[in-house]
Amino acid sequence: MVALIETENLCRYFQQSDDIVVKAVDGINISIEPGEFTAIIGPSGSGKTTLLHLIGGLDNPTSGDVFLSGHNIARMSPGQLSDFRRDHIGFVFQSYNLIPVLSAEENIEYIMLLQGIDAATRKARVAETLRQVGLSDYADRRPSNLSGGQQQRVAVARAMASRPDIILADEPTANLDSKTGIALLDVMKELNESFGMTFVFSTHDEKIMKRASRLIHIEDGRVHKDEKKSP
Amino acid sequence: MLTLKLAIRNLARNTRRTVLTVILIGFSLSALILVDALSLGMLDILVKSITKNVVGEAQIHKPGFRQNLDVDLYLADTQNIRYTLDQDTTIAAYSERVISGGMLSSSYNVATGLLYGINAEAEGQVTQLPAAIIEGQYLSGKTGEILIGNKLAELLEISLGDRLVVTLSEADSGELAQALFRVSGIFHFGIEGIDKGLVFTNLAQLRSVIGITSQQSHEIALRFTDPSLATLPSTPVFTQLNSDQLETLNWLELNKPIASIIEMSGLSSIIIGTILFILAGLGVINSMFMSIYERMYEFGVVKALGARPARLAWLILLEAFLIAVISCFAGMTLAYLLGSYAQEHGVPLGEFEVSGIAIDNRVLMRLEIYQFVEYPIYVILLTVAAALYPARFAARIVPTEALQRSL
Repeated sequence: MVALIETENLCRYFQQSDDIVVKAVDGINISIEPGEFTAIIGPSGSGKTTLLHLIGGLDNPTSGDVFLSGHNIARMSPGQLSDFRRDHIGFVFQSYNLIPVLSAEENIEYIMLLQGIDAATRKARVAETLRQVGLSDYADRRPSNLSGGQQQRVAVARAMASRPDIILADEPTANLDSKTGIALLDVMKELNESFGMTFVFSTHDEKIMKRASRLIHIEDGRVHKDEKKSP
Repeated sequence: MLTLKLAIRNLARNTRRTVLTVILIGFSLSALILVDALSLGMLDILVKSITKNVVGEAQIHKPGFRQNLDVDLYLADTQNIRYTLDQDTTIAAYSERVISGGMLSSSYNVATGLLYGINAEAEGQVTQLPAAIIEGQYLSGKTGEILIGNKLAELLEISLGDRLVVTLSEADSGELAQALFRVSGIFHFGIEGIDKGLVFTNLAQLRSVIGITSQQSHEIALRFTDPSLATLPSTPVFTQLNSDQLETLNWLELNKPIASIIEMSGLSSIIIGTILFILAGLGVINSMFMSIYERMYEFGVVKALGARPARLAWLILLEAFLIAVISCFAGMTLAYLLGSYAQEHGVPLGEFEVSGIAIDNRVLMRLEIYQFVEYPIYVILLTVAAALYPARFAARIVPTEALQRSL
């Protein structure tokens, strides 16, 4: 199968002082296929989030390449990257990352507004994605009137609404209690299985690890172990 | 529409800050309008004082007469000029004058002054001399009448009915001539130079004393049907009569110090406006930056989702535009309410003098439409311009850095 994401000798170094260079990502080569439910795991400071940012085009590598759907995003200009992220990548962040002054449906609609999608299609997709994450009754609520789990589900719905090739989630359950975290994972797993949506998580949450079809262990910026679970 | 909704809700997010910014900009706008209205009110007093006193709205002379008031530089044939003025529909009234410097002697004192020979009726249509009489009577045309200012009366220690001997030079010959007058009226314009230095008598008598004919005079003062015509170079009287033999000047050209004051008043409005706008602009920059810093993580997320820098900049500019519009409504309302009151009741500034002209203790403000159209447009443009820097900052936010701030 053709890889959805492929990194080639990907490096991201941070110059902390004149003589100290932090190698957050150090020569990573991974390949992720469509429909995978992959967790990037490792201890704090191992480079999980940096790797996720590089894959998502939020950060530029020091060296190496990132291919997403065949496009080398490491070579794109900031403007091209913005457009590429908007059209091909969905993000779910650790903190509840909704725009507080917009309702749940408006938050979902906003990403489609950026894509230039017409109003009728936007409305239809908002209703569809809210139904998929089980929040149809909460459409007009603002984030402050939603629980943490509900906010993350809206964030997942927003990520899906743009019809991305992949959804990248940076520790999505970190701020949720155990029960809410499991419920969110169930929603994402169902989306993965029902619609073939590709998910890549950075996490050290055991619950995600158990549900992931593949675990990529990162330590000191390098892939320590890459294990695929049999279905 | 969603972007507009987002901008409006962002403003409502921190109501106190938005209200404070609106107050700052609104007050600046209302202050600018009121300062301008007050300035116009003061100018009205100055202009009225000048054009309604002996100057009139414009004057016709022989070139060079104004420089040293040479009695020999008279208009040799006023008949043609009068004919032209009679045909000109923009001229409401005009008054011929004979002017000569002379020595004024009473039984107690001596002073120098300018003697004006005027046609009583015509002069009353051009200036407010009849209304300025505080004692006695205005000129009736009888021989021997003379009007003097109250300050000059004090100096010469004379009052109504007292004798006043005038010594002056005859035109052309330069011979000294003397004439005896009796004070028939005392006037008060509130302008030191006029109240202390001018006297008025009948035109025919003064012509006779200095030896010029009834077709000759030194000056013709004009009043237009519309006072604003006086300052337009295209007004017919200026284009038709100005030549190397005739000099037609408007009241601004006749009063250089006042022209400077008027010019300065425009400049002072610009200076005050600039200071107010700079303060308001800094307030906007500060407010928008605080708003951006509060939403740093949010902007990081939005950029991560794929928002182009221009969209974030547009959002900030839209928020600034909305603040400016709200501020303008608040500022215009305040200015209108205060200005309308001051337009009717005046602003008590105490008594003071500008270029020899006494300003009453109440100045009536003058509100104009342009103050409520042009100034708000400037405020909106400046507010949006002030938001360009914060907008640029927001546009340049790096998603990974912004996201790390809150993580």
